[in-house]
Amino acid sequence: MNLIRGIKGTAQAYWITLRTMFRKPVTIQYPEQKRQPFPRYRARIVLTRDPDGGERCVACYLCSAACPVDCISMQAAEAKDGRRYAEWFRINFTRCIFCGLCTEACPTRAIQMTSDYEICNRDPLDLVYEKTDLLIDDTGKDPDYNFYRHAGIGVVNPRGGNEDEKPPADVRDLLP
Amino acid sequence: MPTLTIDNKSITVPDGTNVLEAAQRLGIVIPHFCYHEALGAVGACRLCAMMFEEGPVKGLQMACMVTAQDGMQISTLHPEAQELRSHVIEWMMLNHPHDCPVCDEGGECQLQDMTIAGGHGRRRYAGKKRTWINQDLGPFVVQEMNRCIQCYRCVRTYQDYCGGDDFGVMGSRNRLFFGRFQPGKLESPFSGNLVDVCPTGVFTDKTFRFKTRYWDIEEAPAVCPHCSLGCTVIPGARYRELQRVRAGVNRQTNGFFICDRSRFGYGYANHRERIRQPNCQGAATSWREALEHLKERLGKVVNEYGPLSVAIVGSPRSSLECQALLREWTREHGYRPPLFEIDNRRDRTARILAAGLGKQARSMAEIADSDCLVMLGSDPLNEAPLLALAIRQAVRNGCHVTCLDPRAVKLPCAASHLPVQPEQLLPAINGLVANRFEEFERQDQLFLEGAAERLGRAERPVLVGGGDLLGPEGTEALLKAARSLNAGLFVTLGGPNSYGGALLSEDGPDSEEMIEAALEGEIKALFCIEADPLTEGPARSARALGQLELLVVCDHMVNRTARSADIFLPTTAPPEAAGTYINNEGRMLPFGGAYAPGLPLRDIGEGGHPPRTFSNITTGGEPRPAWAILATLLQRPLDFDSIHHGLESDPHFAGLGLLSPGGEGRRVTDAGMLPPAAQPEFPHSAPEGSLPLLVVEALFGTEPLSSLSPALEPVIPEAAVQLHPTTAARLGISDGETVSLRTELEHLRLTARTEAEMVPGLLVAYRLRGTPLELLPVGKITPCLLEKGGNDA
Amino acid sequence: MMPDWIITAILVAIKLGFVLALLLTGAAYLVLAERKLLGRMQLRYGPNRVGPFGLMQPLADAVKLLMKEDFIPAQGDKVLFFIAPGIAAVTALITFAVIPFGPPLRLFGREMPLVVCDLNIGLLYFLGLSSLAVYGIALGGWASNSKYALLGSIRALAQLISYELSMGLSIVPVVLMARSFSLTEIVNAQTHIPFALLNPPAFLVFLISVLAESKRTPFDIPEAENEIVAGFHTEYSGMRFGMFFVGEYINVIILSSMVTVLFLGGWHGPLLPGIVWFFGKVMLIAFLFIWTRGTLPRFRYDQLMHFGWKVLVPIALLNVVVTGAILLLLQG
Ligand code: SF4
Ligand code: SF4
Ligand code: SF4
Ligand code: FES
Repeated sequence: MNLIRGIKGTAQAYWITLRTMFRKPVTIQYPEQKRQPFPRYRARIVLTRDPDGGERCVACYLCSAACPVDCISMQAAEAKDGRRYAEWFRINFTRCIFCGLCTEACPTRAIQMTSDYEICNRDPLDLVYEKTDLLIDDTGKDPDYNFYRHAGIGVVNPRGGNEDEKPPADVRDLLP
Repeated sequence: MPTLTIDNKSITVPDGTNVLEAAQRLGIVIPHFCYHEALGAVGACRLCAMMFEEGPVKGLQMACMVTAQDGMQISTLHPEAQELRSHVIEWMMLNHPHDCPVCDEGGECQLQDMTIAGGHGRRRYAGKKRTWINQDLGPFVVQEMNRCIQCYRCVRTYQDYCGGDDFGVMGSRNRLFFGRFQPGKLESPFSGNLVDVCPTGVFTDKTFRFKTRYWDIEEAPAVCPHCSLGCTVIPGARYRELQRVRAGVNRQTNGFFICDRSRFGYGYANHRERIRQPNCQGAATSWREALEHLKERLGKVVNEYGPLSVAIVGSPRSSLECQALLREWTREHGYRPPLFEIDNRRDRTARILAAGLGKQARSMAEIADSDCLVMLGSDPLNEAPLLALAIRQAVRNGCHVTCLDPRAVKLPCAASHLPVQPEQLLPAINGLVANRFEEFERQDQLFLEGAAERLGRAERPVLVGGGDLLGPEGTEALLKAARSLNAGLFVTLGGPNSYGGALLSEDGPDSEEMIEAALEGEIKALFCIEADPLTEGPARSARALGQLELLVVCDHMVNRTARSADIFLPTTAPPEAAGTYINNEGRMLPFGGAYAPGLPLRDIGEGGHPPRTFSNITTGGEPRPAWAILATLLQRPLDFDSIHHGLESDPHFAGLGLLSPGGEGRRVTDAGMLPPAAQPEFPHSAPEGSLPLLVVEALFGTEPLSSLSPALEPVIPEAAVQLHPTTAARLGISDGETVSLRTELEHLRLTARTEAEMVPGLLVAYRLRGTPLELLPVGKITPCLLEKGGNDA
Repeated sequence: MMPDWIITAILVAIKLGFVLALLLTGAAYLVLAERKLLGRMQLRYGPNRVGPFGLMQPLADAVKLLMKEDFIPAQGDKVLFFIAPGIAAVTALITFAVIPFGPPLRLFGREMPLVVCDLNIGLLYFLGLSSLAVYGIALGGWASNSKYALLGSIRALAQLISYELSMGLSIVPVVLMARSFSLTEIVNAQTHIPFALLNPPAFLVFLISVLAESKRTPFDIPEAENEIVAGFHTEYSGMRFGMFFVGEYINVIILSSMVTVLFLGGWHGPLLPGIVWFFGKVMLIAFLFIWTRGTLPRFRYDQLMHFGWKVLVPIALLNVVVTGAILLLLQG
């Protein structure tokens, strides 16, 4: 029985490949034919801005920690108003595998993926994107979110002035 | 010794252990915030809840608040306990801001860990969060009060452990505020420990602000190079820049804390003026050329004048491995035996101590456990800050501290202080043994007799000495005293590896002899390894060095000698290479290199932006460990094993090769070493009307490495001369006035500061780096003339 | 009139040139054919960009291989590293010398056998060379000083030696039936009925062994890329790799020819000229090779050994005995 089953199984496999040979290939002939990716397609990465026009990225290093191929690097710095931002921010697209883990890690919705997949280049250095190449003038997905309107540090609003905060407490208050 | 069962595992623990500690011994992790091994338990956070199922205590209890007793049966996994713990976390998160991405604690935050462990992910409470206005706490620590979870660790560290009194807890109910009464600089020299102890991001390191995440930083356990105590620290670097130092744990030395000098004094490694390329006659060259050139020049000197015309000066800043190779180098080529400290007084002090310490050696842990401490010529906060913390712990345990010192010694604890003249220290020591104090005034006699009597009664007495003030004679006397009183001895020395150098130099020649030989023209080539004779050596050094034909300097910082070197070879800074230090109690403490040397990324391109070209050469990566340079010259393999092997043939260093960085280290084995031959001191002729000036170390600004650190600039004291109000009155000088001070060689203008607690008739000044004061010998009396005004400078 | 020997020499040269050109272009286009067929089997087109229908692809590949850096591992054995691919390619090439690919031709009034050299022990020559080919692989793997290459070549050695046994045994009935070691004789013995039909077990065993000899799926464990990178040729690049590669495809052609010669009656067939029949049969077998690659997964090492030693060898042995007995009976 086993032998028959084995022979039958092998023969079937041969039959399937043979049959497939005569079907129409599904290949898209790329430069001539282009395909419209889905909106959540994971290609070229951008840094977005919050609805108030500020840079969303707070240089928290979470994306670079999440990146399995270590292609994101940056340096955080402090602006005069206390905002934490990226002094420089670099993504090495020659290494990026477009897994999207960085966007999942980002707590501020700053780093997002677009559906622009045509980013080949002859010089690998041209694929090392700096902050100026990455930062766009748009909120991208999640257009209403501004991290600093929720974080407990006074950057956009004065301390204790966010919607979900009480005004600063008075240390010298003795009331129960 | 009660025996208890936790999660079905039994353990017997010493009396007085609490249940949380017992669980830790079993390897069971109990979540906690407020408990800290050094601070003890206060039961503030309520996170360590466990279910006590059987035994003398029953029900849901805080593990840290229950002392282990016989027959206890405890479950950490009881559903009720787990539920309570997860609620506690959720309550803590009610007010916690949503700012982990911009918080420097992120990644090394206990609250993050516990929140995740407790399973809390979504805030269910819809109410508003409590907020605070932060305080500016000075140049070292940033406060972000909204993140506080009221565990009280900070106050317990700052006030209880470190004895600071300008920081505390204020307010009531859920308005507890941990800070100062008014915004302002934290005054304690241990303020940086708030950064380490706070389990959340309320206190973070200002010098490390937003620089790096924990997971990106390159760290290695190391030994603090800023004084002789050998505290364990963990330097961390990223992008070739040393970015922070945090406290390591060594229960024998520093415990869990370090001082601010160590924590914020790391800037020397990134110093912009650091020379990172070998150079000959001021022109940069390659290593190969520099070494060839060196061999050639050295060969010429040896051919012409013989091997004894080559002298070598090592340093207490160098690792033991480097010092050992230096000694081998001189032995192999027949050069003069090396010196490991150019400051003669410090050198002889260290050697006498190393030769005689033996069984009298005490660690800082033993000081904290002592019941009677007598300090002689020691000012811990300025000379060896962590010693002050050990003394404070002793006092908290009921120890009595007596302090004999000409300076106004400030301690973070109660102590009876008797100001004595520097030359009175020796009679005082001898008097303590014989209990006779005839040379002192009646009132002082009573004080000293009291001290002698307490010393006699004590069970674990320790004599604490300051090597700088005691000098060789004082140290020798103190050694004898400790032996005859059967007391412990703890003497602070000049540098992190003074003890190692002392062990290696034994009774060899000292710097006096070497300088004399150089002045007589017997020395033609001088090799300085991380040493700076022009600053630290006797005043005659400049003349002696002028007569040389070849001056080679290996160092990682630019100093006077390095500037006049014929050949300069860059070495790595302590956090950049591994090595071993032997601290002042003779404890061998290996350290690891945290990162490879190189020009910090910040200093390379425009605005710290990394370059856009590929290169496999590290800019500024030339510095090599000093021991590696020597090994190359000696044609030895570049690894520690062979050096350690060579050292271990000397019984002192037995077991060196088995130690690993971050461990507790091991005391050198005491085996007969000869102290240096006694040296007659010629009394200086003091000019008419002169006053004795005592130059001493200060917490900030005098130690050679940390004083290069920009972060410490705001706290470096002013260049001032301290004097007793009566002395000031006699000279007609008032507090804050500019005075002119003339020594034999220098003329300085300083601010006068009156200090009521110091001894009258003496002038005290800090040996501030970068001022002419750094040229004055430390611990020694320099006669000087003091005048008002000083506008004629 | 030209002397005899000159004509012979010219004919031999023409024959050699023809065979060499045929083999090399054959191998090159076999690669293309394989890539295209595999593509189709996987619903792709395969190479279709270089030249019409991608027909220039082999040329592009050759240029690419020639231009690539010739990398030599620092610690490798340089001499052996140089020689190994040569051995692999040359042994494959010269095997074709004994294969008769058509009926004898009449040219310039003389009989010209369509075989480079009609050895009377052609079969042994083939067996000998196929054993020699192992050296190329073994040395290449050894000289690379790489664990992957070494593993690959050890696997190749074990596999080739094991399957050579069953291959050899499956040829014995053919020799018995044809009563000759000369391949031309063997072909002529099948004028009416190919041995594949006379002795199907020998045919099957030989086919499978040949697949294993060619180190192709499902017997490609010496270069199992998801285990040992590329096996014995991991460290090879450029034209050196190209020689291994060409060697493999020439081998496919040769082994297909052997199947044709030994079991499918060589050039014999109705209607069409002999040479067309021969190459048609060779192409059919080559397609079978490709088809198999598109179909079957790789054996595990133990399965491979199990199959070789416990299945193929006994069957082949039994077959020898049975064929011998039958032949004896028929004679007697
Ligand atoms: S998509 Fe993946 S690989 Fe690319 S940058 Fe983000 S995390 Fe890294
Ligand atoms: S995770 Fe988001 S906010 Fe954080 S550094 Fe990356 S892009 Fe910036
Ligand atoms: S500031 Fe930090 S250490 Fe102090 S109570 Fe709050 S959380 Fe605890
Ligand atoms: S550790 Fe026990 S209550 Fe905080």
